[in-house]
Amino acid sequence: MSNLVSRIKSAFVHPARRRFWLTVGSGGLIAAGLLARYGFGMVEAWTALMVAAAFLAGSDIAIRAWRSLRVKHFSIELLVTVAAVGALIIGEVWESAAVTFLFMFGGWLEARTMGQTRGALKALLDAAPATATVLRDGDPVEVPAHMVQLGETVLVRAGQRIPVDGEVTEGTAAVSEAAITGEPMPAEKAPGSHVHAGTIAENGLLRIRATNVGADTTLARIIQRVEEAQEEKAPSQRMIERFAQWYTPSIIGLAVAAFAVTQDIRLALTLLVVGCPGALVISTPVSIVAGIGRAARSGILIKGGQHLESAGRIDTLALDKTGTLTEGKPQLASIVALGGIAEAELLHLAATAETGSTHPLGRPIVEAGRKQGPLSTLESLEEHAGMGLSARIDGRIIAAGNRRLMDTLGIALGQEGEAALDRLLSNGQTPILVARDGQLIGMLGMSDMAREGAAEAITRLRNIGIGRVVMLTGDQHGAAEAIAREVGIDEVHAGLMPEDKLELIRKMKADGAHVAMVGDGINDAPALAAADTSIAMGAAGSDVAIETADIALLKDDLGKIPEAMAISRATLGNMRQNLVIALVTVAGLLAGVFSGNVHMAGGMLVHQLSVLIVIANGMRLLRMPKTTAPGGRASKVATARPATVAARG
Amino acid sequence: MTQKTILRSDELSCPSCVPKIEKALNALPGVAKAEVRFNTGKIEVEHDPAQSSVEALVEAVRGTGYEARPAAF
Repeated sequence: MSNLVSRIKSAFVHPARRRFWLTVGSGGLIAAGLLARYGFGMVEAWTALMVAAAFLAGSDIAIRAWRSLRVKHFSIELLVTVAAVGALIIGEVWESAAVTFLFMFGGWLEARTMGQTRGALKALLDAAPATATVLRDGDPVEVPAHMVQLGETVLVRAGQRIPVDGEVTEGTAAVSEAAITGEPMPAEKAPGSHVHAGTIAENGLLRIRATNVGADTTLARIIQRVEEAQEEKAPSQRMIERFAQWYTPSIIGLAVAAFAVTQDIRLALTLLVVGCPGALVISTPVSIVAGIGRAARSGILIKGGQHLESAGRIDTLALDKTGTLTEGKPQLASIVALGGIAEAELLHLAATAETGSTHPLGRPIVEAGRKQGPLSTLESLEEHAGMGLSARIDGRIIAAGNRRLMDTLGIALGQEGEAALDRLLSNGQTPILVARDGQLIGMLGMSDMAREGAAEAITRLRNIGIGRVVMLTGDQHGAAEAIAREVGIDEVHAGLMPEDKLELIRKMKADGAHVAMVGDGINDAPALAAADTSIAMGAAGSDVAIETADIALLKDDLGKIPEAMAISRATLGNMRQNLVIALVTVAGLLAGVFSGNVHMAGGMLVHQLSVLIVIANGMRLLRMPKTTAPGGRASKVATARPATVAARG
Repeated sequence: MTQKTILRSDELSCPSCVPKIEKALNALPGVAKAEVRFNTGKIEVEHDPAQSSVEALVEAVRGTGYEARPAAF
């Protein structure tokens, strides 16, 4: 019994639950009233039941109206209360009951659906685990996730969410990072790997040294950013809010004026009911929250409604080459053996020599050499700054470096060598020439590889209507052209200084284009700032990118660019649809009221329906299909490719 | 000593509730600043917990007709 009492009490303390029961109650009374009148012809019972229904639903509305009024705020509830009371006074009990019931019922539905619109973010919030298991004095202890001390070791078992950002110290696991990057393929984590809070260890057992906890984790920062983005008002939203500020009071004025002129109290009260600006004020926020939420699910951070609007208009895309279209790391692209030496032997010698090198081009050669077998030992090494190195291996002198090194050492290239060098250079590759005991034995072509999926992403961009795709790069023309051909870009501007990129972006804008710039790194900063929309890649690891770009892709995946553009366009379109729905509804209702075709209950019904339609339309954005990234990571392809290129060379 | 408390509500259905909730929170003693973010349903309050506790904030929001709960971020 006391249990029941406390349940009833809790139902009345919790506002949403109370409203739900008041709505159900008044709906029941209205149904009973309709039955009494049209089933049994009891008109008095009908009147009493309708008045009761109006009071039941109206009490909550009136209380809210009064509370707002006390803090000097004219609320929609006030309009409805005045209208409902007025209807009772002039004897329109049905109108009064229907208006209050529909207002309550609509409000309940709206709160529920609006909550679902915010749901994309809720998934992110829920991704953060509440507790963590840490090792303290060798024993596992369960603590709240944000209470983990920096440097402590956290245990994560198979199937658990990782509670902190950190570095794996022990164990291996396949970790699903879908919550953060939107990437469905789990990543292999081993000692030394970094892991993010909110990702799931799908198998294995990990020990993680905590480097960021609580509000400092990447996940928390992303949530914060997404929320700020959702709150940042789009220009059209700001316009509507200014409009709404004088809209509600002016409806009151209009109702008073209409009464003064026509002496028709019913007309005036109906105006109050249909005058709620519900669908209009909610039209833009609903689309923006849903659009940004949908993007966040795919690891795309769109930094606000303003950027959604401008990204939706983009017709020209400029991309940086190095690090954006490409991995940004040179790879061994081709092996040219000269004078009868085997390719494997050539690579073996060059790789052994490069083990002593600190040059960035050395490491990929060493890696490629190790892949085909163990390397020999260096007996001695001499570096020639800016040219290369020479090393003694098995008693023979191996020189590896650029053309100048060969010239300095007096090694002739010969006709065959010159031809091979030209071929590499025209393919945009950086040649490493290799000589043994003063004889050229071949060369290695180094090049930065296009990211996997780059060509497909460019095609998709064209398909969604980005007519002009331009490469801007500081690199040499040959290298730029080679990548551009591979990914399908026909407009290339190479050899650019940062200010040249800026100038080109400005020129495109001056020609009337809406330009998005994709880039990373410091040398793109001016161009990024000048573009209508700036897009940064691989932002999960970099605060700077998250801070400065309009759109941040949390993963280095070019496929996210067409997806971001598609979401922006869909959101922009959705917003326009919602505005049209809202404006047509308001205009239609006002016309209906003045022509005498719309009465209070009908007006309220149409008004509430329009709000629900607007929310439902916005929610369509959440259901936009994800475009899945092509399988496999780029690095695998890059290391797999030299063989095929070498075969051609 | 003012502290910042974050409340979250799933129930904000119309932007007209924003000024209402803000004004109700600002009317409490010791509340320096109250901001309601409609799009995300987030309510940020800077308040002196000695004068107005977190429960009092939740109660004030409830008074305007919405259920909210404290959140870590």
